[in-house]
Amino acid sequence: MPDIEVRGLTRLYGSHRVVDEVGFTAPTGLVTGFLGPNGAGKTTTLRMVLGLVKPTAGTALVGGRPYQELPHPRRVVGAMLEATGFHPGRSGRDHLRILATAGGVDRKRVDEVLGMVELADDAGRRVGGYSLGMRQRLGLAAALLGDPRVLILDEPANGLDPAGMAWLRGLLRSLAAEGRCVLVSSHVLSEMAQTADHFVIISRGRTRYDGTLAGLGDPCVSVRTPDPAALRDALVAAGHEVSAGGADGLEVRGTSPGEIGRVAAGAGIALSGLTEAGTSLEEAFLRLTEDRVPVPALP
Amino acid sequence: MNTLLRAELLKLRTVRSPWLLLLAAALFTTAGAIGPVVSGDDSSDPATWSRSAAHAGLAALFSLVLGILAVAGEHRHRTVTDTYLTTPRRGRVITAKLVVQTAAGLVVGVVAAATAFGVVALTVAVDGGSFDAADGGLWRTLAGSVVWNAAFAAIGVGVGALVRNLAGAIAAALAWIAVVEGVVAQLTGDSAARWLPLAAGQALARMDDSGLPQLGAGVLLAGYAALIGVIAVSTTLGRDVS
Repeated sequence: MPDIEVRGLTRLYGSHRVVDEVGFTAPTGLVTGFLGPNGAGKTTTLRMVLGLVKPTAGTALVGGRPYQELPHPRRVVGAMLEATGFHPGRSGRDHLRILATAGGVDRKRVDEVLGMVELADDAGRRVGGYSLGMRQRLGLAAALLGDPRVLILDEPANGLDPAGMAWLRGLLRSLAAEGRCVLVSSHVLSEMAQTADHFVIISRGRTRYDGTLAGLGDPCVSVRTPDPAALRDALVAAGHEVSAGGADGLEVRGTSPGEIGRVAAGAGIALSGLTEAGTSLEEAFLRLTEDRVPVPALP
Repeated sequence: MNTLLRAELLKLRTVRSPWLLLLAAALFTTAGAIGPVVSGDDSSDPATWSRSAAHAGLAALFSLVLGILAVAGEHRHRTVTDTYLTTPRRGRVITAKLVVQTAAGLVVGVVAAATAFGVVALTVAVDGGSFDAADGGLWRTLAGSVVWNAAFAAIGVGVGALVRNLAGAIAAALAWIAVVEGVVAQLTGDSAARWLPLAAGQALARMDDSGLPQLGAGVLLAGYAALIGVIAVSTTLGRDVS
């Protein structure tokens, strides 16, 4: 059973359909990437899933129930939204103590999650003195507080430095590996391509895709060699689809770097570069969202 | 509900603003209570004692701000998202805030009343007069002042929940107190204006002979607090939080 199940979710502001019959599922044990251009309706969708914004139509179930009907929501769902804030005069630890108290979570968890997000040394300081990255980590700590089996994170990578991004990626992977359902919204495709197993793409308030990366199209491998013509012949002979990729490079679809290495070795061709050139996520994303209207200029 | 009350109490204790408001209330009461004597009133007259002590009631302005901060402050700092994620039944959150802030208003009222009592006793002693610590009028004013503080803190929660914008909520509340009630009094005369919240508070602290009887004023003010509380809870349920 999917831990998050959204069906026909719709929200109108005036006559504008900000979210228009969005439907998707986020399966247990996977990181689901929730992608879309700015203004696609991602945040409004997540706020409806979490009971903060009332849907005009449709349903969103978390752990089989509407969020508002969960008896102890913090213990089932951990959420971090972009609009989550902190009182600048309160310490990070006190912020979490308040949530633990109201959410029926053991106070011991406060120091555990502070350790998990590497904020233990700064927990006694006022949040007003925290950097953006530290606030993001405090928000993550709050999401993890109730040891929830569902995590809903809105743009968690915002404000993190490259080391922080790598740390976040590892954290999300390990949370999913523990059997949790992790739904992460992002507009940074390269980051999501590395992190997520399942992808939901929305644009202009509508669901454009709900499935795996493989389903979006074949992965693409970039290969460079001093002798591209010979490699091309060898790859085509081996039944691969090859296109030119720069002066001394080729792009190969529907295969793996290992397979290309084997073909090259078999033909005695030296390689000077071999990368899984991202997947086709960006291309698929642009294809799925290209019909979006330009943002109107402000009057 | 018990956990929500403890969480709200923790919110109050872990920031500085409530403590600063409490300090401001005590300082304001001190200055106000000295006022009548400084301006030449007889420090030995029990009527002067009540006039001085009523400033503990006027400290309710600080209690009002305290109540507003409890709700509008959460919107200002966007902690309200986490609050409602933790407790999606928003009516319970507002109810818990009403209870805790009313108690906080009581504390402000008691501190202000104790301050006023001390100032009155001191001014009498300095002037070499005789002070009757059991004076009935003085104690009625002090008791009314405590209730005024508690009621205004609760009303503040309602105002904060309705307006949500912190600056707007405080401006609206202060405009009501400084302008609206005065205008209504001019248009309709005191007979109607004495039913308004500030006038009821002043009657509670026995500041004005033309006001309502003290007990009636207390009941009226509690009614205002309950009414705005009910409106606050019901409007909070359906509104989007963003």
